[in-house]
Amino acid sequence: MELTTQLIIYGVLMGLVFALIALGLSLIFGVMNIVNFAHGEFLMVGMYIAYLLSTFLHLDPLLSLPIAAMAGYLLGIMSYHLLIHQILRGPMVAQLFGTFGLMLFLRYLAMYIFTPDVRSIKQGLLVGKTLSLGWVTLDLSKSVSAALCMISFGIVYWMIYKTKLGRALRATSIDSEAAQYMGIDTKKMNALAWGIGGATVSLAGSLLAHFYYVTPTVGMLFTLIAFAIVALGGFGSISGAFVAGIIIGLIMVISGHFLSELKFTFVYIVYFLVVVFRPRGLFGW
Amino acid sequence: MGRLLKDIFSFEDRPRFERIGFLIFILIVLVFPWIIKSAYGRAVMIKFLLFALFGLGWNLIGGYGGQVDLGQAKNVGFGAYATGLMMLWWNVPFWVTVPVGMIIAAAESFGVAYPMFRLKGHYFAIATLCVALVWKELFVFWDWTGGARGVEIPIRPTPNFTYMQFGSPIYYHYFIFFLFMTQLLFMNWFRKSKLGYECQAVRDNEDVAASLGINVYRTKVIAYTITGGLGGVGGSFMTVYYLYIDPDFVMPLDLSILIAMTVMVGGAGSIWGPVIGAALLIPLDMYLGAWLGAQKRLGIDFMIYAVIMMFIAAREPKGIWGIIERMRKKRA
Amino acid sequence: MRLLEVKHLFKEFGGVVANSDISLEVEEGMTMGLIGPNGAGKTTLFNCIAGYYRPTRGKILFDGKDITGWPSHQVARIGIARTFQGMKTLPNMTVEENVMVGAFCRTKNREVARGEAQEIMELLNLREKAQSLPTELPIAIQRRIELARALATKPKLLMLDEIAAGLNPLEIKEILQTIKRIKEERRLTLFLIEHVMEFIMTISETVIVMAAGRKIAEGPPEKVAREPKVIEAYLGEKYAKG
Repeated sequence: MELTTQLIIYGVLMGLVFALIALGLSLIFGVMNIVNFAHGEFLMVGMYIAYLLSTFLHLDPLLSLPIAAMAGYLLGIMSYHLLIHQILRGPMVAQLFGTFGLMLFLRYLAMYIFTPDVRSIKQGLLVGKTLSLGWVTLDLSKSVSAALCMISFGIVYWMIYKTKLGRALRATSIDSEAAQYMGIDTKKMNALAWGIGGATVSLAGSLLAHFYYVTPTVGMLFTLIAFAIVALGGFGSISGAFVAGIIIGLIMVISGHFLSELKFTFVYIVYFLVVVFRPRGLFGW
Repeated sequence: MGRLLKDIFSFEDRPRFERIGFLIFILIVLVFPWIIKSAYGRAVMIKFLLFALFGLGWNLIGGYGGQVDLGQAKNVGFGAYATGLMMLWWNVPFWVTVPVGMIIAAAESFGVAYPMFRLKGHYFAIATLCVALVWKELFVFWDWTGGARGVEIPIRPTPNFTYMQFGSPIYYHYFIFFLFMTQLLFMNWFRKSKLGYECQAVRDNEDVAASLGINVYRTKVIAYTITGGLGGVGGSFMTVYYLYIDPDFVMPLDLSILIAMTVMVGGAGSIWGPVIGAALLIPLDMYLGAWLGAQKRLGIDFMIYAVIMMFIAAREPKGIWGIIERMRKKRA
Repeated sequence: MRLLEVKHLFKEFGGVVANSDISLEVEEGMTMGLIGPNGAGKTTLFNCIAGYYRPTRGKILFDGKDITGWPSHQVARIGIARTFQGMKTLPNMTVEENVMVGAFCRTKNREVARGEAQEIMELLNLREKAQSLPTELPIAIQRRIELARALATKPKLLMLDEIAAGLNPLEIKEILQTIKRIKEERRLTLFLIEHVMEFIMTISETVIVMAAGRKIAEGPPEKVAREPKVIEAYLGEKYAKG
């Protein structure tokens, strides 16, 4: 019983982190119908920022949150202007390889700077501490990270659905051409989507680094998890990504407990089954 | 029959400079091991031919068919494991394992193609990637495949052609060149075949293709199945050349990407594209990688790849062959 | 003999009715025109016949066979060829290859397909352009490529969707001549959607008028043009355009 509760709680906690990771991918896909293979590498950037802060500057990794978000934002905007804008009109193959190239570049840049060594954060306010809720004991870093991810998700959701800027972003996402006629600078909106996407995923990375190891190749796995979430939640759907994030989190934690070697396999299979049999996601009809 | 042979062997429809270039290329490869004596140089040549072989196969679905398949490594893995395991368990001769590997790879491709081609574009690409990753994880997970430890091929006391084991790399050089040429000639037939035309029509516009009586879905499934089978051949070669295989070596995502990338860089959908792409990327990888590795500058080679890739994507989606064709048109 | 017959065809898209109760008959050897204001559902009807959409209700018969809901490639093989609204060439294949793809509909042999393609290119004056890419050529020639490609499938019925759109008066005259010529030489039945009035009025023997998804008139061109319902439908469009 206790095990079941614990698995479910951890599944939901992981799911909240996953949801924030997938948010940006879904947003970018919704606004310009392009998938970003470098998404997980943006996450990796956030992870390394937290690691650097903790290991070399001996600051608490929690302080890396704003820095990671800022760096992710800049990285997103830069990627858009230097690369994505150029490949947007090209054939689909070119788009795929463009973001693939970006992924390889960031990955091996990290390899060059940090070597392939596996690293983890050893010091920090949350690291290694537990949280006792009476009947279960939880990892403090996972709990707080999940909570912060949920809050960040909420803030972005509010921004997209309640502010004027968000409305412009959504208009671009629904019909880019019509948005342009209405006087919306769609190029700016595209860049903004990349900025927000980069900021959120990098932020999630700096939180993830509290309890997950960092290597230059960590990104691909999370890119694929994010793809699975976005597919499950419906491409471009923000609220779908939230629910799907939690579902994927549960699948990974529970299957990982019983068959730890295959926990990612289940995620890929879910993606495959969803896109083939429910191409509009679990909630889209 | 005569027509079939002509379609396989004839390059008459290609311009003269291409035929001359191809002839020079064949001559260079033939005399190569007699001029280059360094073991490393020969290894680079063999790896180049291997990746040109991979590229030729991938070009069928990725170049002519226009479907971005990011999972070709699984087929390489099927070929490699079919050869490795059958040799290890039952001592089956190499030449028997090759068709078996091809059939397994083609059958698996056919099986997954059916649901997968309900998808298009990005969705399809990611699905191919997922399928390949699932296979890789299963090969690590299973015991009968040797798991993460992989499969080691017992070394035979005397070199022989039954098991394709030789003491000198010269044999492997001609052996891979033979495999490469068979596949090149197959692709030469393919590009002139009805299926070849149908694939290209599907790539260019599915609605138009259907209006001309082409079953789009079926064409894609067939192309994907053949590509799967072709991928197995190189895998079988890897087993007898390296004498050791494991999932990280013969079926990683990086291999799928590198295969697709050589074709993209060289020029997708042209017969020479994969050869040009491999000729550029493989030596770059082996020499630059080795040099940078010696300097402890890990990763720079892949960063250079990445920049090439982004540049091609943004500026030259038709690759190097596209540049050559354009220059030729300008001159004409 | 009746070649194509559409019986009480309906096509709805999520509640929006694009075609409502369309019935029509095309006799072998005739030229049928289909006109109507924008959004009347003409292309939807073509897409239903050619197998791109599955009709919500109704029947489509070709040569006496029920082809309702057949996939488009089978419709092509049974003898219905079509061209598309807007430009739809195969951009990375040469003109000759474009036409050969059509010819491969009836043969497996490349030489036969090439021979057929060359004959058709001759017929349509495309011979010198055989090795060019369609995207390098002017619109009028691209239209001829589409026509050639459709012809290469050896159709009995040729459906042309706005083949003259975007052409200048001289080019329109030219393509009109070409279509008349190939119709005679290949003994085709024609079914065409056209916006250019003088085009459809000179070539068609019978004209069907559609508006808002319905068939509102049918008859010889000069008679149909005088019908009040038709004038109203077109005036409505002009008025709306302002």
